[in-house]
Amino acid sequence: MASDLLSIGRSGAQAARIALDVTAQNIANASTDGYVRRSAKLAEVSSSGGIGTIGDVSLSGVRLDSVVRNADLFRQAEVRRTGADAARADAEVAGLENVQAAVEQSNVYNSMVGFEGSLQQLVGDPTSSSLRANVIESARTMVGTFNIAASALDAVGTGLRFEATDAITQVNTLSGELARVNLRLARAADASSDQTALLDQRDSLLQQLSAFTDVSTTINSDSTVELRIGGASGPLMVQGGSAGTLGMTTASDGTITFAVSGVTASPVAASLTGGSLAGKAQALTKLAAVHAQLDTLAQSMADTVNAAQGTGITPANAAGQPLFGGGPPITAANMTLALTDGAGIATAPAGAGANSRDAGNLNALRTALSSADTVGGMDALLFDISGTVQGRSVTRDALRTIANGAKVSLQAQAGVDLDQEAVNLVRFQQAFQASGKVMQTAKDIFDTLLAIR
Amino acid sequence: MTTISTSTSAFYERSSMDIADLRARAEGMQADLSRGQRIARSSDDPVGASRLRQLQRADSMSQIDVTNAAKATTNLQLTDTALGSFADYVTRIQELTTQAANGTMTDAERAGIGAEIAQIRGNMIQLANSRDVEGGALFGGQSAGDAYAVAANGTATYTGTSAAGDLPLGDGQNVTRGLTGPEFLTFPAGGASPDLLTALKTLSDALQAGGAAAQQAAKDGLASLSQGMDQITTAQTVVGTRMAWVELTTERRTNLTEMRASEETDVGGTDIASTVAKLQETMTVLEASQASFTKLASLSLFSLLN
Repeated sequence: MASDLLSIGRSGAQAARIALDVTAQNIANASTDGYVRRSAKLAEVSSSGGIGTIGDVSLSGVRLDSVVRNADLFRQAEVRRTGADAARADAEVAGLENVQAAVEQSNVYNSMVGFEGSLQQLVGDPTSSSLRANVIESARTMVGTFNIAASALDAVGTGLRFEATDAITQVNTLSGELARVNLRLARAADASSDQTALLDQRDSLLQQLSAFTDVSTTINSDSTVELRIGGASGPLMVQGGSAGTLGMTTASDGTITFAVSGVTASPVAASLTGGSLAGKAQALTKLAAVHAQLDTLAQSMADTVNAAQGTGITPANAAGQPLFGGGPPITAANMTLALTDGAGIATAPAGAGANSRDAGNLNALRTALSSADTVGGMDALLFDISGTVQGRSVTRDALRTIANGAKVSLQAQAGVDLDQEAVNLVRFQQAFQASGKVMQTAKDIFDTLLAIR
Repeated sequence: MTTISTSTSAFYERSSMDIADLRARAEGMQADLSRGQRIARSSDDPVGASRLRQLQRADSMSQIDVTNAAKATTNLQLTDTALGSFADYVTRIQELTTQAANGTMTDAERAGIGAEIAQIRGNMIQLANSRDVEGGALFGGQSAGDAYAVAANGTATYTGTSAAGDLPLGDGQNVTRGLTGPEFLTFPAGGASPDLLTALKTLSDALQAGGAAAQQAAKDGLASLSQGMDQITTAQTVVGTRMAWVELTTERRTNLTEMRASEETDVGGTDIASTVAKLQETMTVLEASQASFTKLASLSLFSLLN
């Protein structure tokens, strides 16, 4: 078998052209998200001689073996795992910060101190109508701030659930997309540029999914992916060409749980530990606890004051009526001001007579309030929330740093280095020119042979 | 082909992350400085924020204590002035009674003195029914009306409550806001008369009635009067001590307020010197990293290969 110098030169020029194309593609996609650097893998074309032709020169040039995608599966998995953790912490801290703002900025604590102060001031002159009006107005402010705090917490909860619903829609869309990519991957030819593009798409979809939920993947031999959410033993979300549907259930206290249906016959509960969905679920759980505690404080405040009111008499020598209404039971949201006239405050103990300046019952009320320590309870609640936010922020910052590190390390390995590509451009251009020279030489040789006369 | 150590996008990603981080830190410090407060939200320092809340609560309660203490001081001053007037009246009555006890006096003159004493007694009842700053009875305890009711025959009966009531001065301290009438007008048990006002009525009635009993009544009256004077001066001492107590707690409160203010600054204030130094350091690093980023980013093989 003979070699053909011209066709060797042609194959070299063609290989250099392909390598140049790949380089150009790399340069063009240097800043494309999820693009993995390609390189052309070339292979020699030659055949060994057969019987009787040992020693024959049979070289046939070069061919493109495959377009290599320089992706590191481990680093990609790390980016997904750390990214899911960071997204979870981000969502949780954002939710908790809103919870903190709802309770702190409603000024419940300050208005409770104000109410406490107005009672203390009334001791100075229990029959003064202006001081009594001051108590009523402070109580009104306090009731208002309790209502505001409760509705602000509800609004935070509604917002978190709305975002979670949106995230679930995205997860379902991305999973459907992933199932379609799986189908196409199963049909794509090995190492073709078509397959590399699909693989890019597959990895990019997985990374997007990992922002919402923790994903655990199994890559099959045909490059299709099997996806489970909520850990390696979690429910199957994508298998081959079929994708499940993630659903959300809201409990009566506003907390949320997740389940996957579709791939298996019955819905399987998913306990998410990563991704923004898990963060939102955690924030909602904390929110429910804070809301319950706020309700307890409102109820304790109202019950203590109302009980003390009942044991005393007003300046008109009538039995005291409850100061706070709502419920039952009284919560931060339904708390109202039942008494709107300062004359109704029962400052004197029973039997003191009309218009008595005896502050006995008022003092009993203040003692009851200080032993119930509702204001201290409010401080403890604020401390609880802010301490949680601070602790979680530290965790979030750490997880963010880890996720950023993983991302940069993946990019360093899989991303495009423009300097390298510049060198490749020169190198493959030279290879192309050299192959051209080979063809020129073939022509010269041919011409030499033809010139023999 | 071996893997390259870095890619273009990794370089840009890392640089932008570093520079953004530095910027965020510098901005945080700048916000601390301009606010003068280290804690914008409770989560910046939960323990500090909780301490600040408690300090602010104590502060607002302390401000109410200041009002109450001022009220107590005014009422005690009113009581003190009234007691001084009582003492003056009793002194005047003592002078008159001493004259009436003199044997050279005629019945007509004694009747005149009796009338004057009755008049002064009337003034004393008026004084006993005077009002405090809140408009309540100064010597009537916690009752709403007058301290003494005067019957048609001139007998004065105490109608107030048995105690004057306490005002809180903060930190669990209290002061009794005043005196009730009986506390300085009632004689110790066992005397001829139950209280000063009754004794004065007996005296003036006897002097106006005249006769031999009048001079004896005047002599008896002197003993009651000196007893009454003792009661009043004792009451003045009590009131003076209470005023001193209020003053003491006020001084203590002022000290505590100062301590709280300095603690609030320690806990929540920005340490300007160290923050400015840190800000300067961050700015230097930021400028350096920006400058090096520009230098590195402009390094491209493409501009060199021709």
